[in-house]
Amino acid sequence: MTRETQNKVKVTALDRILFMPVPGCPGCQHGTIGRIIAEVLEELELDGTAIEVIGIGCNSGVAMLNVDVVQGSHGGAPDTATAIKRLSPDSFVYTVQGDGDCIAIGAGSFIGALTRGELITIIMCNNANYGTTGGQLAPTTLSGQVTTTTPEGRNPAVSGHPVHVAELAATFKSVAYSARGALTSPAEYRRTKKYVKKAFQKQLDKIGLGYVEILSACPANWHLTPVDSIKWMEEHMIPEFPLGEFKDSDGKRNLPRDKQE
Amino acid sequence: MAKGEIVIIDVNCRGCGFCQLFCPKDCITITGDRFSPLGYLLPTFTNQDQCNACGICAWMCPHLAIDVYRYAGKGAAKS
Repeated sequence: MTRETQNKVKVTALDRILFMPVPGCPGCQHGTIGRIIAEVLEELELDGTAIEVIGIGCNSGVAMLNVDVVQGSHGGAPDTATAIKRLSPDSFVYTVQGDGDCIAIGAGSFIGALTRGELITIIMCNNANYGTTGGQLAPTTLSGQVTTTTPEGRNPAVSGHPVHVAELAATFKSVAYSARGALTSPAEYRRTKKYVKKAFQKQLDKIGLGYVEILSACPANWHLTPVDSIKWMEEHMIPEFPLGEFKDSDGKRNLPRDKQE
Repeated sequence: MAKGEIVIIDVNCRGCGFCQLFCPKDCITITGDRFSPLGYLLPTFTNQDQCNACGICAWMCPHLAIDVYRYAGKGAAKS
């Protein structure tokens, strides 16, 4: 029997991805984040109800999924998602944002959504710089990292230390889930997918806001080859941004004391 | 004994090399003599007999340029 006549089963089928060339520089992992979201949406059978709100930035390329997409104003994706969720409570709403969109220009919107504990899911792509505009200093830039606006490396005495957003989100009482994953290996891919699925499940169970931060490579602005950028993530980014779950709440502690079990 | 095969979609590929880096069986190689329509170096499915259709290359490909197929039925054992 030749290969052509054999029965073949596609093991990586994704019905909800629109097959088109994915935008992005070689090695940019935002497409992988889009794939994780597509796989989780397929597994949770959220066809037809999911609404994606994307921020402004390279992460907008994740909008290749076959779901309804709204692009919020810069930094305002949590606000747009809040409006959609409150006006149609049965819909499933999640945002995909970059680090500049989420914690720099949209810090107010983001913290506001965390404070109110909206029933949305926020997925943040952390690539340690402003990818779209050419690699400037972002809040998540590592100490000593060279960017176009810090040519001698980020100096903590002048521009501070990187913001740990997953730990920050875990401190909010109304946040149900906060985790940080990376895309440095197939094992981390699987773990990150589990985090995204759990965060989506918190919204489906109406427990609270889910937040997942995903460390992704930006080889073009780090001035590394794609393969070297994976090594750079393992050596520099993961020691600074530890991976794992920081909060996994079942929602009972958020109730008033007399209603707790 | 190949358990499956991969198909590389040339127009989507940007030649980043993640498939070569992450393939556990070293089935994918960037040989340097094939180019995509956009001018990026294309990987080649070289060590075809070792492929076990795990799907890792498709997961890690940021540009969704790889489809993985597993052989089904009795033919899988004979191929």
